[in-house]
Amino acid sequence: MTLTRRDLFKATGAAGAALAVGWHFHAASPARAAADDPLYHVLQRATWGVRPADLERIRQMGAQAWIDWQLDYESIPDPLVDEFISARRPLRADIDSLSELAERDYGAVITNFLWGRIYRAIYSERQLYERMVEFWTDHFNVPAPDYLAQRVVEDREVIRKHALGKFRDLLFASATSPAMLDYLDQAVSSKEHPNENYAREIMELHTLGVDGGYTQADVVALARALTGWTLTNNSRHFRYVHEMHDTAEKTLLGVTMPAGRGSEDGLQAIDILARHPSTARFIARKLSRRFISDQPPQSIIESTAQVFLSTDGDLRAVMRHLLTSAEFMASAGQKFRRPLEYMVAMARVLSPALQVTSLDPFYYYLEALGHLPYHWFPPNGYPDVADAWITTNGMLHRWNAALEMAHAGDGMFIGGAMNLDALIPPVATVGELVDAVSERLLGMTLNGEARDRLIQFVIRTGNPQQPVDARLRDNYLPGLVGLVLASPYFQWS
Amino acid sequence: MALSRREFFKQFGAPGVLGLSSTFFPAWMPKMAFAPPGSSGAHDVLVVVFLRGGMDGLNAVVPYGEGGLYYDRRPTIAIAEPGRSDYSAIDLNGFFGLHPALRPLKEIYDESMLNVIHAVGIVNGSRSHFDAMEVMERGIDNKMTPTGWITRHLTSASWQNDSPFRAIGMGAMVPSSLRGTVSALSLRSIADFHLQGREDQLTQVQRTLSGLYTLDAAGEAMAASASSVFETMSFLQELAAEGYTPDRNANYPEDEFGMGLRQIAQFIKREVGLEVACVDMGGWDTHDEQGGAEGAMASLLDNFARGLHAFYNDLHDYMGRVTVVTMSEFGRTTAENASRGTDHGRASVMFVMGAGATGGLHADWRGLHAEALDEGDLQVTMDYRDVLSEILIKRVGNPDVAQIFPDHRYTDHNLIRSV
Repeated sequence: MTLTRRDLFKATGAAGAALAVGWHFHAASPARAAADDPLYHVLQRATWGVRPADLERIRQMGAQAWIDWQLDYESIPDPLVDEFISARRPLRADIDSLSELAERDYGAVITNFLWGRIYRAIYSERQLYERMVEFWTDHFNVPAPDYLAQRVVEDREVIRKHALGKFRDLLFASATSPAMLDYLDQAVSSKEHPNENYAREIMELHTLGVDGGYTQADVVALARALTGWTLTNNSRHFRYVHEMHDTAEKTLLGVTMPAGRGSEDGLQAIDILARHPSTARFIARKLSRRFISDQPPQSIIESTAQVFLSTDGDLRAVMRHLLTSAEFMASAGQKFRRPLEYMVAMARVLSPALQVTSLDPFYYYLEALGHLPYHWFPPNGYPDVADAWITTNGMLHRWNAALEMAHAGDGMFIGGAMNLDALIPPVATVGELVDAVSERLLGMTLNGEARDRLIQFVIRTGNPQQPVDARLRDNYLPGLVGLVLASPYFQWS
Repeated sequence: MALSRREFFKQFGAPGVLGLSSTFFPAWMPKMAFAPPGSSGAHDVLVVVFLRGGMDGLNAVVPYGEGGLYYDRRPTIAIAEPGRSDYSAIDLNGFFGLHPALRPLKEIYDESMLNVIHAVGIVNGSRSHFDAMEVMERGIDNKMTPTGWITRHLTSASWQNDSPFRAIGMGAMVPSSLRGTVSALSLRSIADFHLQGREDQLTQVQRTLSGLYTLDAAGEAMAASASSVFETMSFLQELAAEGYTPDRNANYPEDEFGMGLRQIAQFIKREVGLEVACVDMGGWDTHDEQGGAEGAMASLLDNFARGLHAFYNDLHDYMGRVTVVTMSEFGRTTAENASRGTDHGRASVMFVMGAGATGGLHADWRGLHAEALDEGDLQVTMDYRDVLSEILIKRVGNPDVAQIFPDHRYTDHNLIRSV
């Protein structure tokens, strides 16, 4: 009587609970308790945090339709984000005015850039798209401080433009992006002094992967093929300079590039890399690690790579496959939330009771947690596995961020205001209060000792039948919300 | 309401010390796993000071012996030759002199407990702050390396030490040199390491959290790091409550740098298993109105020297097992610019303080004439990793510098005495 995946994704209404029968949830996940509603699981991974409205929507649509709707992101109206962007010149300006602005007022540009990242994660309706933007931002990592104006443009013209497009187009856009070419020294690579930095990283990090079957000779050949791909003197625009190009014959990954050509050497190299089976496997592995688990099953890597190859790197098809796979559905509770996701997820589960109005606390905590967007300096992007993030400092800062945000109603959180009554409607007993908070924030109620501990926080006697009067509620609801967000259950998704 | 971070802290950050007794913690919690004194052998505690922004080595340690090659290029900011007034350089060896604001260091220099190392930095280094800092803190040219040099030292050391205070960065973020698998603690201040929330509920919040994190559902890694947070919190609350009076009336400057050093001294004396501490001092990017014997850079140097001097006095009885090393990502242009400042240059100065220092001024000095310069600026003639390697080998007890600095071949410059 096991349900097929097809059945699941057709399901509508309150299907979640009923379907749990057919789904084997991983028993050894790091946080052993995860909500057992598969629709909740889809939302946990495909969005930046589950709002009540999201849950309502996916229950109406069913998972498959919801995923398709999110993949077709351009058709989803996004009024809050549109308004946000139109009010902020640094997020709209062209490279010339942005360069001047960044020169004059670095702080204004970088704070708008950061706030834009966080605001969209919290408020955009195009949630899966925003998760993909995050993924590619790490994949094609370029730190912002040294090339700020170019980096802001790169976010718009490279990452956001192609985050759910064709991989080849994304790779090409990145390979002609001034921020990237400056960062990895491609801009100064010439036939006299070919610089191997970008050539190596594009194979190791962007396409084939370190075990993707290339040699040092391939690095040299690619560096030579790309000579002449450089920037205008002001570093603001890509240009190809034939005088810098090495026109001699080259062999890249077994393909001979005849002598006497120009920029088509580089174009051909991009095509070879984008369509290489190692690239398909490498991207599939990274996506699986991001969306499924730190050690994804080999089966999902292989099948995702197949979809990548057969669709010529169509990222929508790839993501549709991945998010509707059995491996994905069996992975609830296995991903540790990275600091940015943790902060944003709290803001989202608390919304609309919490209205976030300022970057400040996000900046503060993300800096302390070592996850400030656009500030990872090596080209490999922020780490994507739990081990990298579970530290003494990290835990304390996470708890404090949770406790502060939960006390927004007391003015303890400078990033916004909260109406707790809108979050948790009145209930009669302490047991019900703890259940309501866990259900609202975790998508499940807790039981056993975890529930007992939270009840004891509210009432020392630990009596779940204790009536909740106004005083008890006012005193303990913020702390209770903070504790649930700080608890192990909210650290994983 | 855009608060600066400082205002933010003033307003919300420091709700006083709780003074919880350690009996409050549940029995499962292991006692603080301090390394027994001397568990890292008879090795020094290493204190790494990073001067962020690119310190002007040519005005900190003045090559007055270069005459016009120095003075003509710096018409408004040069430091006068020794002996002219209180604002003159303090002579070291007849050719170099300390900036007058570094006077407190002269006493340490005279006791042969301070090395002054000139023309040192990243060979082939970048003039970008971020690039140069990342390279320097990783100790490796390849930007791909995810670990810092201090982390590679700690993981390759022949001893182990589970103390949460093994490696501490004073500041908001774990410095890049401490990035990697060793879980380094970063502390703004001892008193700051505590939970937020309503003050009257903090005990209950803490008790509930520690309860939730010991349940099976939390998983081992989470339980371990939670328990480390509680241990650390409890110990730091104890430290904060007992207060600290530096020895020998050592008077630390009140800035972040001085307070960082003061707390490092406290950790060293309490034998908490500290092996490496990092502290930063910013503000060295003196593009305009740098000043000469007085002014912006002079006041930075003043705080820097007073901080080191206080640390030296405070830890006087411990200096036999402490080595302090200072570094900056690059030096500055030889010539002053139109805004009476200096731009990003190449070589700068490092200081090494402690019983391990052989004393004196060390430099492979090629001079300031045009041919000796690197695109117009002071050439790096000593790799900063040579200095660090000697310290690691001779004072810190880790001979494995080939692993710590894999793309560097170490040369011994006789800067450091063996333990």
